Amino acid sequence: MLLEYATPLTFVALGAIFAYSFYAVLIAGQLSLGQAGFASVAAFSAAALAPGREEVGEVPALLIAVAIGMTVGALAAVVLGLPTMHLRGVFLAIATLGFAEAVRVVLLNSEWTGGAQGLAVPRILTLGMAWTALAVVAYWFWRMGRSRYGRALEAIREDELAARSMGIDVGRHRLAAFVTAGAVAGLYGVLFAYYVRLIAPNDFDFAAAVEGLVTAVVGGSTMFLGPLLGSGFQTMVPEIQRAVGVEAGWIRPFLASLLLLVVILFLPGGLASLLPRRTRMPASSGKDDEDGDGRSHLATRRHPGAGETVAALTALGKEYGGVHAVRNIDLEVRAGEVVGLIGPNGAGKTTLVNMISGLVPPSSGGATVLGVTIGRTPVHKVASAGVSRTFQHSKLFNRLSALENVLVGGHLVSRPTFLRRLLWLPSARRDEQAALEQAARCLRRVGLADSAGIRASALSYGDQRRLEIARALASDPSLLILDEPAAGMNHVEAAKLSTLIRSLAADGLTILFIEHNVGMVLETCTRVVVLNFGEVIASGTPEEIAADPAVIEAYLGTEDDEPVTGSIAEGTLADPTGGDPDDVAPDAVINVHPGAAGTLDPPDTTPRNAT
Amino acid sequence: MRAQLTTLAAASAATILLAACGSGEEGGGSAASGERAGEGTGDSCTIEAPVPIGAVLSLTGAAASYGESQQKGLELAAEELAEKEGVTYELTIEDDQTDPRQGITLFDEFVTSDVSLIIGPTLSNAAVQADPIAQEAGVPVLGISNTAAGVTEIGDYIHRNSLTESAVIPQTIAKATEEYGLEKVVVMYSNDDAFTESGFEAFSGALEDEGVEVAEEITFSKADTDFRALLTQAKESQPDALVVSALIEAAIPLVTQARELGIDVPIIGGNGFNNPRLMADAGDAAEGVVVGAAWNSSSDNPENQAFLEAFEAKYDAQPDQFAAQAYTGLKLVDEAVRSGCSADREAIKEALGGLENVPTVLGEFSIDENRDAVHPAVVQVVQDGKFTVLE
Repeated sequence: MLLEYATPLTFVALGAIFAYSFYAVLIAGQLSLGQAGFASVAAFSAAALAPGREEVGEVPALLIAVAIGMTVGALAAVVLGLPTMHLRGVFLAIATLGFAEAVRVVLLNSEWTGGAQGLAVPRILTLGMAWTALAVVAYWFWRMGRSRYGRALEAIREDELAARSMGIDVGRHRLAAFVTAGAVAGLYGVLFAYYVRLIAPNDFDFAAAVEGLVTAVVGGSTMFLGPLLGSGFQTMVPEIQRAVGVEAGWIRPFLASLLLLVVILFLPGGLASLLPRRTRMPASSGKDDEDGDGRSHLATRRHPGAGETVAALTALGKEYGGVHAVRNIDLEVRAGEVVGLIGPNGAGKTTLVNMISGLVPPSSGGATVLGVTIGRTPVHKVASAGVSRTFQHSKLFNRLSALENVLVGGHLVSRPTFLRRLLWLPSARRDEQAALEQAARCLRRVGLADSAGIRASALSYGDQRRLEIARALASDPSLLILDEPAAGMNHVEAAKLSTLIRSLAADGLTILFIEHNVGMVLETCTRVVVLNFGEVIASGTPEEIAADPAVIEAYLGTEDDEPVTGSIAEGTLADPTGGDPDDVAPDAVINVHPGAAGTLDPPDTTPRNAT
Repeated sequence: MRAQLTTLAAASAATILLAACGSGEEGGGSAASGERAGEGTGDSCTIEAPVPIGAVLSLTGAAASYGESQQKGLELAAEELAEKEGVTYELTIEDDQTDPRQGITLFDEFVTSDVSLIIGPTLSNAAVQADPIAQEAGVPVLGISNTAAGVTEIGDYIHRNSLTESAVIPQTIAKATEEYGLEKVVVMYSNDDAFTESGFEAFSGALEDEGVEVAEEITFSKADTDFRALLTQAKESQPDALVVSALIEAAIPLVTQARELGIDVPIIGGNGFNNPRLMADAGDAAEGVVVGAAWNSSSDNPENQAFLEAFEAKYDAQPDQFAAQAYTGLKLVDEAVRSGCSADREAIKEALGGLENVPTVLGEFSIDENRDAVHPAVVQVVQDGKFTVLE
């Protein structure tokens, strides 16, 4: 009989709702322990403010209390979220824990909460109501999963920097996730209060917060059914122990903890990882042309006409603690150009493109990219102006499938679908379908159509590079920045990549790319810029560059050196600087070492002062 | 902000759906069967079927130290009752982990599994949460440590054998005022525990009634162990006594540190102090501590002497008040069952409510019309490492 288990089943539902409040932020990669505080403040406010059941009847009283609780929870999340949203990982956990503890102490010392003795609340919640509330919350997260908003949160969790570069406003999304957590925690607090009859501030202490977190993690924090599974597990373990006849006392918590350990050790993705996860690839419509009907559901971007200025850099410089990584660069990129950026390791190429894409503010000079002044503009704004990029070291969303990676790339050109998905509006379905088709087109373009369902982390190195390009293409950019796209690719793959880049340029896309494979650069680009020690040492057509003595010196040393057979330009000579990508100096933005540029050896083997 | 609005929108949607599904589902457990009536009365009473009794104690979690004492008291009583002829008890002790969810679940399970009576739960907060379940299902409850006001007001099935703080503390304060001529005291209490906070309220009321001035009220957390700063502050008021409402974990360091700082005035404690660990761990510092208690551990009534002896023999330790009240609780249940010679829920309820002048470990015991305990409280003072009655 179901009724026989009404109490534990109600607690399964309540525990799951609380776990969802952790899931709401874990899905965006935030570790918060403040939910106990939200639940506490919501429960006490609702119990104190809501009218009694004698006045309005049982169910309306509960509904009013729920509305008050969720509002208070969400407001508390805004209040806590605004100052803490720049915190990450364990720092956020500590700050939110501090908040929860502060709430507990304030409530303990307040008159209206009854202090430690708590506040009496009528029991209104029934099994049916608890599961209805749970169903609504689970439905919310289920529909969120495959919406643009849900994908953006997952992208932030997997790689915040890459998410920013895809045009996702990370701050806003993180705050939204936090507020959702606050509202759901508030819902839990109120429902809990209206079931247990008496709430005390100590019911929402550190242990409660940890239990909610554990429930969410054990269930699985990447799949919407996770919290429900986790709560079922956590609630039923004591029940089963009782049924089996394990004697009351320390042995039960010990066994429960042991079981928890086993689950965490052997199912790192939580219980939800036992469920199969299906990935969809839209049936190939056969319409690969850009004007397929899917196009009409995507936002369109006005690209600059051929010859218009896309990026203009004036005296741009970047200094790290006295070391000039980039200095005094004047450069203009016009629409339709394919500009190759070459130079030895440490020449400042990545720093330069990081500045152009808005990741790193310049220390001197200025630049305008697609009408946006860089330096003061956040990365996602630069991206929404039409700049899209890949990274020197792949920054893919590793736990997402290849297709999902590209879908995130399409963030800027797809429409928000979450609210409409909640209501099952057909337009949301059409928009999602359009985004899917766009993503599939991008995948096909780089030749990864068959790998759509594979996790990004499981792809081969070369495929990961191509996936990054597909993801960058999905936002329909005006300026595409490729940072060493051919690194790790073999001869054949590099040749294919070169063809792809030229075909993109033929579509009118402006491309700026860094590459060590000089042969490939010379045959792909319309213009080549050579950097050394942070300065432009040459700029011109591929032919001019191949013949430029300064370039040859930078790459090969002076003419006094022993003769070299072969030519870089022909691609028959191994590029001395384009070694294993793992050996490349990690000058991607997150790894910037001040002074790294200055400590790198010049690429030639002969000391410069030998002449 | 769009996503936040989205959140709120769905939240309201959730509440609307909730409304659709609200129906009372409180299922009362089936009434106890009639087989549990027996023949005879008192010691000659014989009941065929074993009498199932459920006990909900906090064996793990924050209140574990009390629950363990209670478990010992109950088990000792159960052992002794098993030797008596006529009625056999099936005592099931369950652990609520000091968690309201477990407490409620356990009450629900005991109610549906047809127990004749539920003993517990350990904490007053848990009682307020769980007792209504038994009340609605018509299962008698005997609280053995709930001291907060209002617990028995939940309904006519709820009884307790534990004196409330408001029954013990006024006596303590009156006695101490008379003995030490108190005029000005400092009150210290941990304000994050329901038990100690209600103890503080009782102290405040009693001090006011006696006309004793409260120079200062100092609060601390039940988890605190260093009270030196607070005690220095208290000392500055030059009180005639310290009045402390704390659990034993805080009481021991507080008393020790007070004596270290040269506070020699009497320390008046609440029920939490009534524990042999006070003398064991605080040693000489415990001398002069005045404790109002529901159980006079040094009482020489024969029931108490037998209990002390049996407890020490079984556990090789001295019992505390929680053990004494638990032990008494099960003995009272036996008394009630035998007096009507029936283990029906209704019969037990009637018999429990009518208990009068039963000789117990706690002294002559009665249940009053509010189903609260009536028996002599005692004011003790620690002398030579022992609780002695303050006279």
